[in-house]
Amino acid sequence: MRGTPGSAIWLLQHETRMFWFNNGRRRKQRSWLAPFLVLLWLCLHGLAFFLLRNMPETPESVLPFVAMAATLLLVVLATFMFSSGLKGSVDSLFERGDVDLLLSSPLPARSIFTVRLGAVTLGVALVYLALAAPVVNAGLFIGHPEWLAVYAVILAWAAIWCALAMLLTLLLVRVLGARKTRVVAQVISAIAGALLFLLAQAQNLAPSGGPDALQAMIADHIKPGSVFAPDSVLWWAGRAFTGSAVHLLGLACTAIVLFLVTVHFTHGFFVRGLQQAVSTVRARERPAAVAQGRFGQSLLQVVLRKEWRLIARDPHLLSQVLLQLLYLLPLGFLVLRSEEHAAPGVAAGLTMLAASLATSLTWIIVAAEDAPDLLLASPATMRVVRRAKVAAAVIPILALVAIPLAWAVAHDAATGLLMCFTVAAATLCSALTGLWQGRPASRNSFQRRAKGNWVATVVDLVGTVGWAATGFLLIRAASPGQSAYDARWAGISLALALLTLLLAWGTRRRAG
Amino acid sequence: MSAAIALQLHDVSKHFGRPAVEHLDLTIHRGELYALLGPNGAGKTTTLRMVAGLLAPDTGRIDVMGIDLASQPAAAKQTMAYLPDDPMLYDKLKPMEYLEFVAGLWGVSATDAAPRATELLDWLDLSKHAHELTEGFSRGMKQKLALAGALIHAPQLLILDEPLTGLDAAAARQVKDLLLSHVEAGGTVILTTHILEVAERMAQRIGIIQHGRLIAEGTLDELRARTDGGTLEDVFLQLTSPA
Repeated sequence: MRGTPGSAIWLLQHETRMFWFNNGRRRKQRSWLAPFLVLLWLCLHGLAFFLLRNMPETPESVLPFVAMAATLLLVVLATFMFSSGLKGSVDSLFERGDVDLLLSSPLPARSIFTVRLGAVTLGVALVYLALAAPVVNAGLFIGHPEWLAVYAVILAWAAIWCALAMLLTLLLVRVLGARKTRVVAQVISAIAGALLFLLAQAQNLAPSGGPDALQAMIADHIKPGSVFAPDSVLWWAGRAFTGSAVHLLGLACTAIVLFLVTVHFTHGFFVRGLQQAVSTVRARERPAAVAQGRFGQSLLQVVLRKEWRLIARDPHLLSQVLLQLLYLLPLGFLVLRSEEHAAPGVAAGLTMLAASLATSLTWIIVAAEDAPDLLLASPATMRVVRRAKVAAAVIPILALVAIPLAWAVAHDAATGLLMCFTVAAATLCSALTGLWQGRPASRNSFQRRAKGNWVATVVDLVGTVGWAATGFLLIRAASPGQSAYDARWAGISLALALLTLLLAWGTRRRAG
Repeated sequence: MSAAIALQLHDVSKHFGRPAVEHLDLTIHRGELYALLGPNGAGKTTTLRMVAGLLAPDTGRIDVMGIDLASQPAAAKQTMAYLPDDPMLYDKLKPMEYLEFVAGLWGVSATDAAPRATELLDWLDLSKHAHELTEGFSRGMKQKLALAGALIHAPQLLILDEPLTGLDAAAARQVKDLLLSHVEAGGTVILTTHILEVAERMAQRIGIIQHGRLIAEGTLDELRARTDGGTLEDVFLQLTSPA
């Protein structure tokens, strides 16, 4: 079906074309991937049918609990959908570059905004529809047509969370301006994605009690009459998921109303406010004093200052780097709960954390250098510049881990010093690996940095694990009553870490 | 090499699979503004990048202010500045911080750099934007800031690739005035441009490059004498159009 030029369907076709173009362009060098994924998807259908063909009927009494589980699953999906919705909203408003073209055409602004929000929703829902399809389609063949409700629930759920994401994006544009919105939305999106992981680790973060205590707590909360009882309105979405027509209708109506309300109240701002925000440099109060530079510093000093300024002023990049800290927090709690393995575990965890941060910062500072030609065209000695860049990556990390390391040294000098050794060595080795293996890249490609340089990624990973294992085993070997077994393995892991460093140096890229 | 020569290329060639620059000989005198013209893909940018030390020639030799670029790159680079068509800036730095960094790269002392930075920002009308990050700058403001960076160490040789691209009339005038005053003060400028009127009005000598070879060189009158005359545009089209 081809839409009349200028109609909403025609515009939707344009959006679809852009979606495939954008996704196809990223994967143009992997032409085998699409057929492989389709084949895998078809195989999953077969597997789902094979596994589900003899599935017994679900008893009525169990259905409320299925609905509760489904609701929890939808809550998980909501964090992902909201995160993707924010990304999609920011991309569709700021990154696509065709907003001006469309808005300068005679197409109604409402149609443009409706189609754009619809495209964001479909783009977000598509992956979950594809994932659910093998099970739902298998359900059709084994006599469960009610499972088709899953498709409607996913679409409605995506519409709700994408509409909310678009509303938040436009609100941020109005309050903060276009440029800051891009950054804030990306940070919120990253945190929303990480939130799920932290929730999953809630049990580890809980003070004590273990799985039994958690089960007892849950049982207490879901007993009849309580807020979370199986018949509570909170599980509405889950009941729609199980095929209840009333609940499905309610969810679909909620989604449609929210979608239409978003379009109705924001399409005007989309045209006027957004265009103004994008094209206007927001005037801020300027300090009366004339800016004074700090001239006459050494090359090392100017490079350090420049690198730290660039990192500190890029909150999006900074948040992505610091998210690594967030992911390692639960591991830290796990380690600290085990008295016997606390010190070796903390050493391994801190070593991995420091090395991981060093890898990220070195990539930003070395590979994502914004003006490499400026450095090359200058008479500055590249060796000094490169050393300054490594220092710029390593110093903040060592400052960050200084407090736990000082605590470790104060607690047990020998253990603390061993920890200092592995943390410092791993940080430096990761930074050097990044320096030797880094390939020029744009800061925007931070999240995709590993894909373009898998050799460096593997070398760095093996080196990091080697140093973490060295820290773990050395401290265990130094503990009273331990055999020489740990010391021997510590030597092996140390050799592995040094070997990867040697490999990184041997296969280094030529400077410049 | 004569002390009056700022830049000399001897039989310089560069290939990227296919020849980009072939057996190029070029001599530019001190205090001269030299315009290097040519169609797209003629080898202008490759030539300038070799002179700036960003690309090593496959063959040949480049002398900057009498210094061999290959054997003494730091000494040669100390005397020159390169401004590409896409300004080499940092989005998250403010103008003064950018100049501070560039001055650090060239090892300019505080007593020289501080007043010069203020003077350049005033001259290029950027002082009122001193507290803004360059990411919010227009194309013209970025180009002017990059030019200020190129001039912070008072280079003897200024290498400019399309310096007027994207500038409005006022900004273009400022940049042209700045280049002329640099030449009047004894500095040397080599620039490429597709705006032939600029070359016609400003350049003392003009070189025309095509397929990596210098096909004509001289003053505008000398070039006119080799062709049917007319404007530089007429001369350029006659020299570069297929026979």
